[in-house]
This record gives sequence, structure tokens and C-alpha cells, in this order.
Amino acid sequence: MTRASQASFGLFTLLAVASAGVSARHAAATHQSALKAAPAQSQVTFNHDIAPIIFHNCAQCHHPGEAGPFPLLTYADVKAHGRQIVFVTSKRIMPPWLPEPGELKFADELRLTEEQIATIRAWVDQGEIEGNPADLPAQPAFAAGWQLGKPDVIVRAAKPYLLPASGGDSYWNFVFRTPVHRSQWLRSIEIRPGDKRLVHHANVLVDREESGRRLEKEPGAGFGGMELTIESEAFDPDSHFLFWKPGSPPYVEPDGMALRLDKNTDLVLNTHFQPSGKPELVQPTLGLYFTDKPATMHPILLQLDNDRMLDIPPGGKNFQVSDDFTFPVDASILAIYPHAHYLGKDLLAMATLPDGTKKTLIHIGNWDLNWQAVYRYEQPVDLPAGTTISMRFTYDNSADNIRNPNQPPKRVMAGNRASDEMAHLWLQVLPRESSGAAMDPRIKIQEALALHHIQNNPGDFEAHYNLAALFQMKGELSSAVLQFTQAVQIRPDDPTANNALGAVLLASGQLDGAIVHLNTALKGRPDYFDAHYNLGNALAAQGDFSGALTHFRAAVRLNPQDAGAEANLGSALAETGNVKEARMHFERALQIDPKNELARENLEQLNRDSHDHPN
Amino acid sequence: MGHRWHSLQVVRLLVIVMVAAWLASFGSTSPSAQTTAFDLAGNPVDPLKSAGGKVVVLVFVRTDCPVSNRYAPTIEKLSEEHGAKVAFWLVYPSKSESAEAIRKHEREYGYKIPALRDPQHVLVKESRVQITPEVAVFDAGRKLVYHGRIDNLYEDVGRARSSATTHELEGAISAALSGKSLAADATHGVGCYISDLE
Repeated sequence: MTRASQASFGLFTLLAVASAGVSARHAAATHQSALKAAPAQSQVTFNHDIAPIIFHNCAQCHHPGEAGPFPLLTYADVKAHGRQIVFVTSKRIMPPWLPEPGELKFADELRLTEEQIATIRAWVDQGEIEGNPADLPAQPAFAAGWQLGKPDVIVRAAKPYLLPASGGDSYWNFVFRTPVHRSQWLRSIEIRPGDKRLVHHANVLVDREESGRRLEKEPGAGFGGMELTIESEAFDPDSHFLFWKPGSPPYVEPDGMALRLDKNTDLVLNTHFQPSGKPELVQPTLGLYFTDKPATMHPILLQLDNDRMLDIPPGGKNFQVSDDFTFPVDASILAIYPHAHYLGKDLLAMATLPDGTKKTLIHIGNWDLNWQAVYRYEQPVDLPAGTTISMRFTYDNSADNIRNPNQPPKRVMAGNRASDEMAHLWLQVLPRESSGAAMDPRIKIQEALALHHIQNNPGDFEAHYNLAALFQMKGELSSAVLQFTQAVQIRPDDPTANNALGAVLLASGQLDGAIVHLNTALKGRPDYFDAHYNLGNALAAQGDFSGALTHFRAAVRLNPQDAGAEANLGSALAETGNVKEARMHFERALQIDPKNELARENLEQLNRDSHDHPN
Repeated sequence: MGHRWHSLQVVRLLVIVMVAAWLASFGSTSPSAQTTAFDLAGNPVDPLKSAGGKVVVLVFVRTDCPVSNRYAPTIEKLSEEHGAKVAFWLVYPSKSESAEAIRKHEREYGYKIPALRDPQHVLVKESRVQITPEVAVFDAGRKLVYHGRIDNLYEDVGRARSSATTHELEGAISAALSGKSLAADATHGVGCYISDLE
């Protein structure tokens, strides 16, 4: 009478961002020569020539309340930083924009032309003339407060983070409890990271499994760390880049690409700070904007990587890491996000089409972790099945790389700490479905990618796990058992993997094995709802109802809003003869979910029984 | 006793005369007029003359330079370590930053070092600095022995090490204290151009 329904979740990791690089020496020389070639300016004035450049390219950050350390809105503002502006623009330190110009255009490109740079230099050299007031364009207007208007819901970090006055970079994660009571569609999340001058970038991760909360020392405290792994259901979430960088307006998802936000979902904000010289309290807020238009298109995030190749000897200046992945279906790339830490130097991603045509997806010649960003293409990059995406990253682990966190340099391998390295290339991909396709093309892509990662690295825990979850989803239980078993062999104590293996063993009737792994999961995480629920089911299936009771009771205590746990608890109670209490839990299950069939059927059965045999 | 009292009076008179000369020069456009830096009360101050034989460190900053701001804890720490033998001054070369704005800046960044305004760039020229934050170190004989960066935390604007690996200011202070005769040593700082404030 108890139904073994297994709760298992695919583990797709979205590693929150942050990273590194070396930068721009080459710029100086090329700019000098470009400068000579620039048109001989007669007289350059602020009002006629400089204000339009500054207003369009600088003022979005350089105005009060934004990330720029000083405003650039008036003649006096710009004059007070004139030489500085020449310096930083000619070295292309500002405006911050890492990708080299190429065939594919990115939205909101922030890159001055050689001519604009030469004009600024000429203006300063000529003595910073203000010019005719009639030439001055209108100062750009910036909305104060929320850029998209009043959000539907505002959530604030429970506790501020104290950023010390001095020291190196800091990475902090805030866990936001989202107050939604039913699933809603989000068209945008506006991230207000606190004092924008302190934040280099911030990234929201959708956390449906409370992975973030488990890392907090106390509820709401947040936790440190540059990279994090978020567990999630297979596929659906994490298909969006939710990224904040200085000066970018909040991104609004197009119609049909809304992000699902469920009840009991946390949003984890991963932030990268630099000290300002004084202690700062940072308490970010998120503004949620809903839409009634549900998602009809389902992009996915794909990660190319080759962390196993990351073993960089000290002193190595040109250490290469590569990965190549071939799309099994037609797909469009919407956005790209290359990621390395402080040793990253040159980050290149190419697409090779089946006909041999090559496209540069992105090339960053002077990687700089501080200005990392998600780059969205102006137009989706349509690629046919059989296109190979190639990642070619170069690292500099010499003492000449001033950002090298190890002085003197030492051997560096892959890892989540700032002093470790990463070689990741994230793509937001929208598969183009052929009509009548038997299988969701996202599954084909994920399966191909998981197999690819296992080929790169047979010890890739997440790849085995994800592949297993895909098999499970397709109902191929024996393949799922095989892959989950491999994941558990790699991390024998991992609660999530043991629970998943236990669940799939349970579903395929291998109860003894299921019980072993579910117990292991609970040893690692005693308050693991899913594992209690599954273990309750496994024990019940063996006829051990009193054992099952213990775990269903634990499940109900951990999640009092779960109709399934209540119904199963009721069933186990009924089996042990405790009819009165059983009835209470069936009723409770129906309160939570009036459509819960198990509770309804069992309650009807109880009513019939009590009618047939009153007392 | 009477004789000592008299000589003190003479000194005080001399000071008054000098102040008068400074005040007269303020606002004057004459190139030969005497120029000076000011404390936050508006009084003329020459940090080298008032040093009383101490080594003097001038730290050039501005309220809106993120690089000099990030150095506040480093500067304050060095001044605490060497305060007995070294006179530290913050110098704000901006014409437009008011004494009030500077006081607020000092409070926010936890500065205990006295501040000077140098709107006429007297100290900037004497120290041969070009950037905030650059520093100048004068030995007990008021000779400029070092000017330039504090350390090598920044390689360029926006290009910082995780921590500095050379510490030029500390080295210059130690050399000046031990009386080593340094040829005026110089490096370039990274930060904001003082010439933008002219």
C-alpha cells in the first residue's frame, strides 16, 4: 500500500564565477601609431567632441551611486581627471571591455574607437577647452533606485557582510530566501549588490535544493568562497545567466524565456569584492520582476572545461588548456562566459562548422578576472548539428604575471579557491527543435556533454551523476544504476549521490542495496529529507513498517509541507495498526494537496474498514 | 631669566612677520609671491620647517582617487609604526577639496595623520610627485631622499597584485632614519594624475 516514489535530483553544477588574468601591455604601442593616423583635429572642445564620448561610454558607471569612483557628468568632472582618462583609455583599461573586436557582435559593447581615444588625447593636449555651450548635449538621465521600476518583490540579504578595510579580494555568498508561495515566472532579477564601488561582479544562482543554506554557519549568515556548486533538478533551472557587472542595466529575459521560480527556492548571490581602504558593510538586495508569460523556449547552460589538464608548472608562461565538444543537434548560442582565475592570459573560443567554416566565438587577449562578464550576442549564433566548439585557454604562471597569487610561483592545479585555477567556458544554448523529434534536444545535448566530460576525465563525479540522472529520466534504470555507482565510487560519502543511487536501486527493486546507500546518505547528512523519504519507502517495501515509520516521521518533521511524506507516514501507521494517527496524516496530506491520490484512496479504505468493522 | 624671555619674544615676532607675508601672498598673482600649504584651519604650514629634526613623509592623496583610498590602512599603519621618529602628513593637492570634505574623508578612512591642503602645489613641486598616492621622504636635513610609490601593489590602474612584493616607502624611511645617504631615489606611482588638478 505504500508507494515507493523516489525523489532524486540531477546534479547540475553551475559554478559561480570569478577569475583572473593578465592584461594589457600590447595596447600602448598600437595606440601610439594609431594616434598618429588619427585625423588632425582642429580644435577639440569638451562640449562638441568630448561630452558625447563620455556621456555614452563612461557616465553609466561614473555617476553618483554607481560603481565609478568619481562622477563624469560635467566639464569640471572630466577636467579633474583629464590625463587620467587619456591614460586609461589609451591603454584600454577603461571602459572595461575584454573581448577583441570580431565578426560576431556582442550586445552593449563598450569599446572606444581609435579615433575617439585620439580625440580625448587631443583635447587634453590642447588644454581642455570647454567650447561653445550650445554644442553640449543633454546630460544623460539616470533613474535613481530600481532601474526597471518598482520590483514585484524585493528581498534583502539577512545579514550584511563586513568587508575589511585592507587585504586582497574577497568572495562572499548571500543566500536569499524568496517569499513566493507558488511557482512564478521571472522576467528579470535586478541585482543591487550594495555599494557598487566595492563589487566587481555578482552572479545569482538558482538553488532549489538549499545547497547554499547548508554552507551557512547560521541561517542568513552567508558563506565565503569564490566558486560554488549548486544542486538542482535536471535541466530546468540554471538555464539563464543572472549576472551583474558594474554599469550594466538589468537584463530582461525576452518573452518566452522567463525563469521559473518555485516556492522554497533560494537565490544565492556570489559576489567578488575589493577592499576600498575603509571597512564597509555590504548588504545586497534583489528586485524580482514577474511575468505571466511562461517559458516556451528552454535554453540550457553548457560548460566546456578541461580541469584535468590544469597542472601548471611554476614559471610556465604559455600553458595551454583545450577542450572540444561537438553539438549533437542544431543549436543557437545566445551568450558566452569564459572563466579562468588569476593565471588566465588568453581565452579563445571557436566554432568549427561541419563544412569547415570557422567562427571566433570570443577572444580575450588580455584576460582580467576583475572585469569578467557574460557576453550576450547581438544576434543568436546559429550553428548546425556537428559543429565543434573549441576552447583554447592560455595561462601564465610566471613571476611576470603580476596577478599571480603565488610569489614565487608554484605548481597550480584546478580548484575552487582563488589560488587554484579554472578553465571553463559556459555557453547559453537554445537547441533548435526539429518538429516531431522523439526526444527533448536538451537531453541529447546534456547526454553528449556528460559522455564528453567522462571521456576527458573518467573521475568526473558530476558528469557521471548527470549522465545517471539523464538515464533515470529516460527510464533506463540499469544504466542509471551503473553511472550513479561510478559517482559513488568517486565520492563514497557524498550524501546526494548515495541518495540518488539508493532511489534508483529502490525503483528497480534492489532493496538491500538501496537501504545501504540511503543509510550512507543519512550518515553524511542526517537532516536529508529525500533520503529519509526514500529510506522509509525502502523499509516499507521490505515489510519493516516500524523502521519506515522512523524515517517518514523524520521526513515530515523536516518538511511539514510535503503531502507525499504525510501520506506515506499515514500508510506506515495504518500498516502498524495505528489507524487513528494514520487518519490524521492522510487528512493532513489532503490539506496540503487535495489531489494526493494515495492519501485519498487510503482514507477511503479506512472509512470503509471502520464502516464494516466499527470498533 | 629676563634675557631668555626677550629672545623668545623676538622669535615669536619673526613668526608673525612670516605669517603676514604668507597672508599677503595668498590670492596674489605675482609669480614672485611666496606660496605655501595650509592646515585644515587655513593656517600656512611648512611641514619641513616644523619637523624639528624628524624625518618627514608627505603622502599625496585626493578624496576621489580609489587607488590612494585603498592605501589608507597601509599609510596609517606605517605612521603608527614610525610615529616617534617620523612626521607623517597627508597632502591634498586639490584646489577644490574643502577642509570640511577632507575632514570627512579622514574620518571615513580612519586617518589620524594630520592633513594639509596644497592648492598651489608648493609641496607637490618640492616633492617632485605626479600621482596620488605618491610619497616624498625628506631626511632630518630636509633633503628629499625618496619620491614615488608606496609599494608595488599596483602595476597599473586596475592591475593589482594580491599583495605588494616590494615596499619602497618603508625602505626609504629606514634609510633616512639610519642616516644613509641616498641619492634621491625615485619610482613612479600608479593612481591619479596630480596635474589634472591644475
